[in-house]
Amino acid sequence: MPGESGYAHLPVTKVPGWHGLIAWDALLNGMATGLFMAAAVSELAAPAIFIPVAKVAYPVALVLLLVDLALLVSDLGDPLRFHHMLRVFKPRSPMSVGTWCLVIFSLPLTAAAGLSVLSEFGLDFEWARRLAVVLGLLPGFGSAAYKGVLLSTNAQPGWKDARWMGGYLTNSALLMGCAELLVLSAMMGQTQATVILRTAFIVLLVLNVIPLGLLFADLHPAHARLYTRGQQWLVGILIFAAATLIPLSLTLLSGDLPFLSGAVIFLLLGSWVIRFVYVKIPHTSPLENRRSE
Amino acid sequence: MASREKELSALLQTSDPPRGLLSSLVQRLIYPFLHGEPPEPRSPTGFYTDTTVCIGCKACEVACKQWNQLPSDGFNWSGNSYDNTAELSATSWRHVKFIEQFSDGSSSKRASLDDVSNESDHNRWLMMSDVCKHCLAAPCHQACPTGAIIHNEFENVYIQADICNGCSCCIAACPFGVITRDPVGGHSHKCTLCYDRQRDGLEPACAKACPTQSIHFGPVDELREMARKRVEELHRRGVPEAYLYGDGASDTYSELHSFYLLVDRPSVYGLPDNPYNPWLHMMGDYFRSIAGGLAAIAALFVVVFLLGS
Repeated sequence: MPGESGYAHLPVTKVPGWHGLIAWDALLNGMATGLFMAAAVSELAAPAIFIPVAKVAYPVALVLLLVDLALLVSDLGDPLRFHHMLRVFKPRSPMSVGTWCLVIFSLPLTAAAGLSVLSEFGLDFEWARRLAVVLGLLPGFGSAAYKGVLLSTNAQPGWKDARWMGGYLTNSALLMGCAELLVLSAMMGQTQATVILRTAFIVLLVLNVIPLGLLFADLHPAHARLYTRGQQWLVGILIFAAATLIPLSLTLLSGDLPFLSGAVIFLLLGSWVIRFVYVKIPHTSPLENRRSE
Repeated sequence: MASREKELSALLQTSDPPRGLLSSLVQRLIYPFLHGEPPEPRSPTGFYTDTTVCIGCKACEVACKQWNQLPSDGFNWSGNSYDNTAELSATSWRHVKFIEQFSDGSSSKRASLDDVSNESDHNRWLMMSDVCKHCLAAPCHQACPTGAIIHNEFENVYIQADICNGCSCCIAACPFGVITRDPVGGHSHKCTLCYDRQRDGLEPACAKACPTQSIHFGPVDELREMARKRVEELHRRGVPEAYLYGDGASDTYSELHSFYLLVDRPSVYGLPDNPYNPWLHMMGDYFRSIAGGLAAIAALFVVVFLLGS
């Protein structure tokens, strides 16, 4: 607070300056990696049903990943030095692990997307496409899993206590990927795939409540310092409604495209709000400071 | 003479940047991957700052700025005692803190002339020259994905400015709020412990300039011994609250190569009471992250496999 003497009331750590871009990055990262993994798992589990929709999903995942990478690079202090990330591999640095996973993942994803597009023009290299899908699974999973660890392994207030951030984000990536795949299959008129993915989506929505609840419990002390009880309840209810209740209700109500699209839009909206609220924590002044101002 | 200078400047220097767009691009791409031979390890060095003899003259701040050619931050009244530097930043690698403690127990009361003359345990100024702690297991070093942050041959935490790409992971990781990203260049900066001076056998500029020997520089082992003797001396002289901060490792944080003699709680000086290395949680966080993902993959696979077949 300006004019107050001493340092005990001041925050010790400095905020890294990761703002809205990082919330979008966390969302797009989950959407891209989740879509790839959901398509790959579905294709490998039931190829006869899922190959057509998977062939559309891979190019979409690639576009999402490219947008995400552009955001990541533009958020650097010196974007022209992005390639410096590749001069070392440090297992103890989540950002280093994530960068390498993303770089490696981009290769099989590009191959799977390219070969899927080529097959539409009669150039079918099915074995190569299938190989690329299998090879992409591990780095794709790593690309989804590192983000939460990066956002919890640090000294920032709130973030440092979020033990379930990684668990939530990785689980959420698969949920969002399943949701995207569901809409794609509904748009393509793949009835059998839509029916199966609708069930899977409902299961994953319910499953996702567990890491989300654990993350909320982790963040409760930080939120109590930043927001009033009323604000916490309001945001909590909005998030739970948008990210879980409304998508669940719409999906249970009907399997038609408008309902499914609505469910997915609400899910993505809720997922973005969760990431945005999380990223905001170290950038928000404690409640007592705001009151005295 | 002038023509000789002209002649010399026309010569191609090995350190000259490449000319032409293509060679410049190639240089930019290749340069960061060129790793030199690491120098031979030397005796670990650091700072020991005795805050009880600091007089708040800010000579250390000035010497640091001058030697490292750091630009001015402008002048702003912070309203916080005589502290108008406010914080460590990309352009302020030393920061002298002023804490006013007076008999009514309030730290927000302004000092009157009477208060100042009546200095006792409850009427006192605390001053401290803050700097990077050069942690032995530095979270910034662990976080850095480019390898820009290294422990140099003196075991000081050093940012290679030509490698840093401004990802800010180090800023998020530092529990002391030391590192800052320069808004102009976009790279992270902090105290280098005057690496260039040390290589030439000189002590850091701040320690050299300190008129009261509040800032000591030297081999860390010697500094620790000196600091412990000083604490004992202060205890004998009726200052039982004197203690060393960062002298040894705790359960949650490594020892600091820049440590302090304090006479009040760390938070009074703007230091974390119990610094915590975020990396203690990393394996658990990875486990939860992987478990969360695997649970979702397993659920998806089971549903697709059962309904699909």
